[in-house]
Amino acid sequence: MERLTRREMLRLTAGGIAAWTLGAPRWSWSAPASDPYAAARIDWRQLAGERIHILVTPAHYFTKFRAITPEFTRLTGIEVTFEVIPPREMREKAVLDLSARTGNYASHTADPMYLPLYAVNNWVEPLDLFLNDHKLTDRAWFDLEDIVPLWRRHNTVRGRLWGMPVEGEVTIHIYRKDVYDQLGLRPPETLDELRETARRAHAPARNLYGLALRGFRGAGQNMYIWPSLFRAYGGQWFDHAGRPTVNSEAGVRALEYYVSVLREFAPRGVENWNWPEIMEAFAAGTVVQYIDANSTASVIENPAKSKVAGKIGYQRWPKGPTGKRVTSIWNWAMPVNAALPARKKQATWLYIQWLASRPTQLRSATFKEAPDAVVRTGVNRMSIWRDPDYRRVIAFTPDYADVVLTSLREDTDADWRPRIPEWPEIGEVMAIAIQEALVGRKTPKQALDDANAELRRVLRR
Amino acid sequence: MRPSRIYPSPGEGPAASAELPGAVPGGRALPRLDREARLALLLVGPSLAVLLAVSTVPLLVLLGASLFRIELTRPWVGGFVGVANYAAMLEDVRFWHSLQVTAVYTLTSVALQLLLGLAFALALSAVVRGQGLLRVAVLLPMILTPVVVGLVWRTLLLTPRYGLLDYLSILLGLGSHSWLGDPRLALGAVIVMHTWQWTPFVFLVLAAALAALPVEPYEAALVDGATPWQRFRFLTLPLLRPAIVTVVVIRLIIALRAFDAIYAATGGGPGTATEILNLYAYRVAFNSLNLGYGAALTTALLLFTLGATVVFGRVRGAVEASP
Repeated sequence: MERLTRREMLRLTAGGIAAWTLGAPRWSWSAPASDPYAAARIDWRQLAGERIHILVTPAHYFTKFRAITPEFTRLTGIEVTFEVIPPREMREKAVLDLSARTGNYASHTADPMYLPLYAVNNWVEPLDLFLNDHKLTDRAWFDLEDIVPLWRRHNTVRGRLWGMPVEGEVTIHIYRKDVYDQLGLRPPETLDELRETARRAHAPARNLYGLALRGFRGAGQNMYIWPSLFRAYGGQWFDHAGRPTVNSEAGVRALEYYVSVLREFAPRGVENWNWPEIMEAFAAGTVVQYIDANSTASVIENPAKSKVAGKIGYQRWPKGPTGKRVTSIWNWAMPVNAALPARKKQATWLYIQWLASRPTQLRSATFKEAPDAVVRTGVNRMSIWRDPDYRRVIAFTPDYADVVLTSLREDTDADWRPRIPEWPEIGEVMAIAIQEALVGRKTPKQALDDANAELRRVLRR
Repeated sequence: MRPSRIYPSPGEGPAASAELPGAVPGGRALPRLDREARLALLLVGPSLAVLLAVSTVPLLVLLGASLFRIELTRPWVGGFVGVANYAAMLEDVRFWHSLQVTAVYTLTSVALQLLLGLAFALALSAVVRGQGLLRVAVLLPMILTPVVVGLVWRTLLLTPRYGLLDYLSILLGLGSHSWLGDPRLALGAVIVMHTWQWTPFVFLVLAAALAALPVEPYEAALVDGATPWQRFRFLTLPLLRPAIVTVVVIRLIIALRAFDAIYAATGGGPGTATEILNLYAYRVAFNSLNLGYGAALTTALLLFTLGATVVFGRVRGAVEASP
């Protein structure tokens, strides 16, 4: 290796710094000619100097949000700091903070299923307090009605909105188009046909498995997928008197379906799989199909991360015996912690408003926080979903965006899972029952009978 | 070894206490003692207060909470319920199940650790060269954080088809298994995991005890023509007994409190197959948000741990008292 003289070294360093400085503006986001935030008729700087601390998960969309948050600080003078923790631990920390009323976290990425619990304890503020404050919100500019209606309904308890959707998803059927074509299979219309395609494509000797669904125990894991089957089979969570009815015939048949397809066609160990394991197995080409969040598309369609990019088909959930397709409903909801002083609450609202606004959502959708960054597939605004530019970015297949939009519009309702304060315990009881049936510790009927008795005890009904 | 042998206890009479510096019998010495005691209290006071604040106060809060009904999912109910939370345990199937899992998990893993640790210690005491290196190698698992151990076992070692141990199992003709997902295997798998991590601790203590054994009895035994087994059975084992009892007590307490590795490896599943009492109490309190009942479960665990400690303390006392 040639030795550099000191002079050469200095020259190189200086050149490097110059190149970096000149190049920098191209990497960072450049503001459009007319500032979209200036159009809002509020004083963005009214709370300059405030500091807020927010708890988020490490998901890629929050990484993007965090990366562009300095823009918010420049706009408002409000400083935002983050704490990043995986979902399960994040939820526990949030609940501890809220229940102790310590006010550590001005806001956090809440699970909408927890909003009834938050609301009944008055741990968070109803957002209409801020939405209807003309000093804080320009309703016309913010355009609340543009935010995906189903997500808003999901975050509404007793007629009031408690958390602002900033990102969301639906579950859809994702399959290997090339394998389907090879075998002459048609995308399944019903759950029975889905089982048939799994049977036909299942080839464990070639390390290719027919189907995978979440098997890991948890209110947000197996209890995020199985409820769709339960509802598609006609299951109801409660009877007219509010007593739990998960062990109805529909429930038992839905669990039998889930257990039998996974035991026959899923890779061994699926009972410990959550969505990352499923997505990775699919990306590695060892699973023919799965039903899970549409957001996994941005990873499995990324050639750097997936062997099967470009060979994938997407469609809505197959229909159950009732003729209904039922998808899941999910969004990350941002509430305002009720334990904060008034000015911090307002500052938090300004941040939430900024984050959920159209310009921020649009910009963060394709923001590259890292060279291998993926695109957001869960923007919260209908107008962006209809925007041709955005649709081009997420056109993994010509109909991907329509599959997602139609699922969101037609295939579920806000009460897909029981939205009551006791949800954390209900979710846990059901998750255990589903997993016990899956691993064969109990029959589906036994598991659900026991779970129903347990739910009656929990709910005292 | 016990403090009472070095320092006389107050019960041993004035003659004994006279040995304490400054403690001259008679009223005149008392003021000085008081002054010293005051100074001692002043010096120890702050740390004592901190200790009380961070250990005793939370414990009292826990005991108090276990007598109340505190459910965050139902803020409108609540109030003092006496021992109702403890009575509820009697009918709680999941509690009894977790107790059973805890018993199997604790007893099996401590027994395995003791056997393996003793075997390693004996084997290594015969090694002359490279003992230091071997010791470091054996200690590695213990240095890892339990969460990391849980994750490593879950992913690198036990994943069906790709995990190292599953691969060995296939090579041995035992076939591929979902070690952490099969309810018949999961508890065994977490016991093995725990044993893997904590055998080094047993090994460390017993190896040190072995190295400190006197040589004379062994020389005498050799002269008498004792076989290796006889030397082990009638010399090594009795001489090691105090160390074995100590290590079992410490391991029992830690095993009863196990949490992180199981939490990371199975989360208590499949179903509730590996849900030890600690994990169940945690789920009740932080998942179902039933704080009163969670506190009662935790108190129960505390009592079990205390019971185990007392029982083994007695055994240890008996061992030490025996000639």
